[in-house]
Amino acid sequence: MSGRPEPHTLAGAYAMDALDGRDRARFERHLARCRECAREVAGLHEATARLAAAAAAQPPPALKELLRAETARTRQLPPAIAGSRAAPARRPGRAAPAGSRRTRTRRPAWVPRLGLTLAGIAVAAGIAVWAVASAPRPSGPSPRARAIAAVLTAPDVTMMHARVRTGGTATVVMSHHERSLVFAAAGLRALPASQCYELWLVGPGLDRPAGLLPMPSHGMTGPVIASGLRSGDKLGLTVEPAMGTRHPTTRMLLVLAL
Amino acid sequence: MTSVETGPDRLSLPRSRGTAAPPGVDLAALLALVAKGDQAAFEAVYDRVAAPVFGTVRSVVRDPALSEEVTQEVFVEVWRAASRFDECKGSPLAWVATIAHRRAVDRVRSEQRSAERDRRAASSVIAYDDVAETVEDNLDRERVRRCLGTLTDLQREAVTLAYYGGYTYREVARLLGVPAGTVNTRMRDGLIRLRDCLGAGR
Repeated sequence: MSGRPEPHTLAGAYAMDALDGRDRARFERHLARCRECAREVAGLHEATARLAAAAAAQPPPALKELLRAETARTRQLPPAIAGSRAAPARRPGRAAPAGSRRTRTRRPAWVPRLGLTLAGIAVAAGIAVWAVASAPRPSGPSPRARAIAAVLTAPDVTMMHARVRTGGTATVVMSHHERSLVFAAAGLRALPASQCYELWLVGPGLDRPAGLLPMPSHGMTGPVIASGLRSGDKLGLTVEPAMGTRHPTTRMLLVLAL
Repeated sequence: MTSVETGPDRLSLPRSRGTAAPPGVDLAALLALVAKGDQAAFEAVYDRVAAPVFGTVRSVVRDPALSEEVTQEVFVEVWRAASRFDECKGSPLAWVATIAHRRAVDRVRSEQRSAERDRRAASSVIAYDDVAETVEDNLDRERVRRCLGTLTDLQREAVTLAYYGGYTYREVARLLGVPAGTVNTRMRDGLIRLRDCLGAGR
């Protein structure tokens, strides 16, 4: 079923995000070398923009309020400087992921009892503060705040910590019941503007993108919620181009069994 | 139905409501201000493109709450990455719509179990009809509708299922019962024809 089409014929499918996994990665590799294709895709994106405009529908007014708060705490990317290319976040190292640690707790609490690093506690507290701070709004909590609160208060909440291979500590608060996890990190290695950290749910089948990490603020990254968790999933973290990818293209900096 | 004023022809018109952005400033200039952290400019951008973004996301995601969440993520990304917008590479609307569509598609694909996916595929005819209706119910959309009408049936179905339905070309091929290779050439030909018809080419 998976024939391998000529990359060039995939420009239309690519412009409509109709390429999955391998096809998308393959086309993007081709795109990086083919100026003509890049021009064609740009032109096709003008057409898809019209399709978007034709589907216009007003979002609820509350969304704008939420965004006002959200942008106020979101650091912006600096402009890309042509020609500058920072070293990729890859280093020769051991194959096994850096040490990870997990704390299981029965009670609906996110506060760890013992054995957590200070950074981990700070991250966990950050998640809770964020969830609380974003909850009470005139229009009710945002879907994201609700989802985070649901994980933090789930009966089967579990908290884990792991070191990220290239530096920093990740904290994951997870609920299989909610099929979601909240990810936050402290002290992640800074990336060049052309790259970002991307989370993955690594299952028995496909690796599914689980969100891009925002720029850190005061050394703290996140919290980010990832949903659609299935049993047997692992959480992965890679460095990807700034807009993210559909499948991991660099090696995992963290693999955490959930 | 609320009438939506943000159509392709209006995006360059100012709709500022007491923001710092002077009237007449176009979307690209607003994005340049956003890149410098200008909240008012960001809100002006939001006012102009929220409807296409939300409409597109909702057509793919379907679930209203999730659509709002994805729309929120899209605009945080617009805020975050405004400095990366490059007018030489495309229009501001194309940049934002591309972020929105990809976000929506990635979200549904990451969330859907294969079983759910199959079920969704089975109900795709309904999704297609909904979209057709959405496209038809506003005069501003007449032009896109008319241009979609110049496509062959296969081109139009392939484009609509991929863009509004968020399906991969292999899924579209299965839904339409034609070979995947045929679908991807039809998608490309269809989009090219649409681009030319809309005068959106560059």
